[in-house]
Parts: sequence; C-alpha cells; structure tokens
Amino acid sequence: MRRTLGVVLTAALSVVLARASYAHEVRPGFLELRETSPDTYSVLWKHPAGGEVQISIAPVFPEGCSFRTPDRQQMTPGAVIVRGTLRCEGGIGGKTITIAGLEATITDVLIRLHNADGRLESHLVRPTAPSVTLGGTTTTGQRVLAYLQLGVQHILLGVDHLLFVLGLLLIVQDRWMLLKTITSFTVAHSITLAVATLGYASAPLPPLNAAIALSILFLGPEIVRVWRGETSFTIRHPWVVAFAFGLLHGFGFASGLTNMGLPPAEIPLALLLFNVGVEIGQLFFVLLILALERAFRVLEIQWPRAIELFPGYAVGSLGAYWTIQRTLMLVGGLR
Amino acid sequence: MTRRPLSLLGAVAALTLLPTPAHAHLVTTGLGPLYDGISHLFLSFEDLLPVLALALLAGLNGPKAGRLALFIAPAAWLLGGLAGFASGSPLLPGTVTAASFLVLGGLTAADWRLPSSGVSALAAALGLLHGWLNGASIAEAGREALGLVGIVGAAFVLVALLAAFVVWLRPPWTRIAVRVAGSWIAAIGLLLLGWGLRTPP
Repeated sequence: MRRTLGVVLTAALSVVLARASYAHEVRPGFLELRETSPDTYSVLWKHPAGGEVQISIAPVFPEGCSFRTPDRQQMTPGAVIVRGTLRCEGGIGGKTITIAGLEATITDVLIRLHNADGRLESHLVRPTAPSVTLGGTTTTGQRVLAYLQLGVQHILLGVDHLLFVLGLLLIVQDRWMLLKTITSFTVAHSITLAVATLGYASAPLPPLNAAIALSILFLGPEIVRVWRGETSFTIRHPWVVAFAFGLLHGFGFASGLTNMGLPPAEIPLALLLFNVGVEIGQLFFVLLILALERAFRVLEIQWPRAIELFPGYAVGSLGAYWTIQRTLMLVGGLR
Repeated sequence: MTRRPLSLLGAVAALTLLPTPAHAHLVTTGLGPLYDGISHLFLSFEDLLPVLALALLAGLNGPKAGRLALFIAPAAWLLGGLAGFASGSPLLPGTVTAASFLVLGGLTAADWRLPSSGVSALAAALGLLHGWLNGASIAEAGREALGLVGIVGAAFVLVALLAAFVVWLRPPWTRIAVRVAGSWIAAIGLLLLGWGLRTPP
C-alpha cells in the first residue's frame, strides 16, 4: 500500500514537475542593430531553435522602418540567424521595437543598439514587457543587472540542473562532503561554461540535453543504495561524480549565452555575471533544501515511508523520463 | 464556546457581508505560471501577512501546532483554490482578507494557547478563504491553474521555515518579539478594515 502511494505520488508530482519545467527553453533571443550610416542599420536577429519547444518570436520594427536589402536567413545548430539592412527615416531613437510572440514564452530577448556616435544601448526584453523604446545609453549597472538576471533565471527554470543538485544532496552524508561536492560541481560547470562561451568548444544541444538527463537518471539508483545502507564509488566520492557531470551541465548553462553571439568585448563581463547569477540561484536552492530539512526536524515531522522516498523517486523517474524523451528527439532529429 | 471566540466569529461574519468585491491578481514574472504563483505569495501582502501570522501563531503553540498548520493550510489553500478557479468569481468582499490579519495577528499578539482543533480550524479557514480568492482571480484573469501550485508550495515552505524558527527560539524575549510581530499584523488588518469601511463601494 505504502509503495503504491509512493508510486502514485511520484507519478503525479512528476507530471506537474515535467509540465512546469521547460528545461533549456529559456535560451534568449538576440537582436543587434548597428548604425552604419545616418538612418541605416545592419540588423542581426538570432532566434533560438532546435530545442525541445518551438519558440515563435520575431521583431516588429517601428513604422517608417523598412528593409533595404532582403533579409538573409541561416540555420545554425541552436539558432536561426537573420541578417539584413534596415532603413529608418529620422533614425530609430525614440521609436519602439516589439518582439511579437514573446509574451507566450518564458524566454527573453537581448536588444542591443550601437549608435554611430559610439553610444551603446542594451535592453533585456521579457515576456511581461515585450516592447522597448530606444533612445539614451545603457549604464554599466543596467548591463550588470541584465546578465545577473539571465543567470538566475537560467538556473531557476532549468529544473533538470536543480534536480541533479537535489540528487547530490540526497547522496551526500555530511556537511564537509556537501561543501566539497557542491564546490566541485560549481568549479566544473564554470570551466565548461567559460570554455563554451569563449568559443573554444561547443556541444550540440540535442545530445547534450540527453546526456544531462542521463546524469540525473544516474543518481536515482545511487540514492536507493544510500537508503539501503550500501556503498558505491559515487556514495564514497560524490564530489568526483559532481565534477564529471558538472562539466556536462556547464555546456547546458552556456546555451543561455552562446546563442546571443555577443561581441567579443562584452563576453568577459557577460560570462562572469551570468555565472554569478547561476551560482546565486544554485546557492539559494541548496540553502532552501537544507533549511527545510532542518525545519522538518524541529517540527518533529515523522514522514510516512512513501513520502520519505519521494525525492529519490522523483530524481530517478524524471531523469528516466527526460532521458527517453530527449533520446527519442535526438534519434528523430538524426533521421 | 466562550464569548470571545463567538464575538470573533461575529466580526468575521460581519466582514464577509461588506459589499466590496475581492481582487488578488496573480503576479506576472515571465517565468511561467509556477513562478508567477510563488512570486504572488511573496509580493501580495494580503496573502503573505496572514500566512506569516499563522506560522508565528503555530510556532508559539509548539511543534504539533506547527505540523498541523504546515499540512492543513496548504491543503486547504489548494482545495479552496481549485473551487475558486472552478467558480471563476470571488463572490467575497474585499475586506474579508482583513479578517485573517486581525484574527491571526491578534491571537499571535495575545500569545493565545490554542488546542490542536483550534489551530487546524484556523489553518483550514485561512487556506480555504485565500485559496478561493486566488483561484477565482486566476480564473477571472484567464491564467493557468498551475499558478495555484506555486502559491501553495510557497505557503508550505514559508510556514515550515517560520513555524520551525519560532519553535526553535529559546530566550523569553524572542517570544515577545514574535508577539510584537503579530500585533503589527493585527494593526495592519485594522487599518485595512478601516480603509475598507471608509471607501465607498
């Protein structure tokens, strides 16, 4: 009976979690306008594609703006890239650009305007406010905040990353080992995040997503071993496993930045702040789980066995679900 | 039942007869309905403060009261929310939320020793009332019911952390600090009630 309850609970909550999680569908779009001569702008539009959910968004330019050259489209593994030349009578300053369809997504679009006089304007457009009126200059503080926001958002919406961290928390036996494990996961994903963002290496999205799902599934049986009092390499040295899989997750985090095609001068700032944002989100999650665990002990809660086992089952079953789903997508994509 | 709880119930009933409609719109974060729900609880003080008051009150009444509040309030919130979502209309006056502030804040300030049934009843009433209002507002706005899961999850976490924190507090002055916090919540409820009565419908 208890076992049945555990399975039912796991299934029900897994459906909610799977429904609520659009892992890796938070890759932002990027729109760059570069003023090449008075009232004329070269346009670069990067529209995330090839993920698990098709995102239909497109920039709507203000009245009085029209393409002088037909736009050219190019398909890349993670994005559709559109280039063209835009002519706006009287300049684009003070006019509004809207990203159509953004309100129906959970992604953002970074809009960047390079004026001929050297002023740089940068806006992070969100589903809640899909329009922006151009004009003025973006301060460094605003840019810092935008990249930090992107990082926090990427980890909070990346339920697969959080589930992996939860799996590690369930395996780790003491605080010192927890510190070591979370630190090694952080170091590892920071390395690959930097390597991928700086363009030294890249991982195609479909197999990467399947491998990340596999890393979560991998932790399921290890959690069961902990419950049974058994041991394994992962249980004895969770930091090694965290480091190895952290390298993989870093490529996943990088998808939040690499799609943007940021200018080289902007990459160090963006990389640093995006990573700090990811770490803030991850630290918040870890502290929340630890605080909840302590609260349950203070309130002397005796969980039924089925509930006690639930987090482990959730990690394993969602890992299995995503592995199957993403592998099928990968195989489908190869055909 | 003593006179005091009776007069309290009378006050709550009177409040519910006030004609202003209740509105508690869901916050839009752009991160999906689940995060909209989570943010709603932390950004909507008409829902947040009574939850804080319940957690403080339960914490003052010990671990058992904490456990009851932790499981009953979110469960009732979800039930009320689903019922409100199905109905699609709040049907309750706006000042009704002031009642939760007053009752829960007042009981916390008075450091009232409650039996288990009392804590359970308060947690259920709070959850059903606020859940109903949230669910109805979500339906009215044409948003997804998944937002309710976010609100309920956030309420669960908040009650767990705060009630456990109050139970864990040992020095006597900390108990007074908790009661002071309760009195502030009750005072805010009184202000809201006064404002609600003063504003023409």
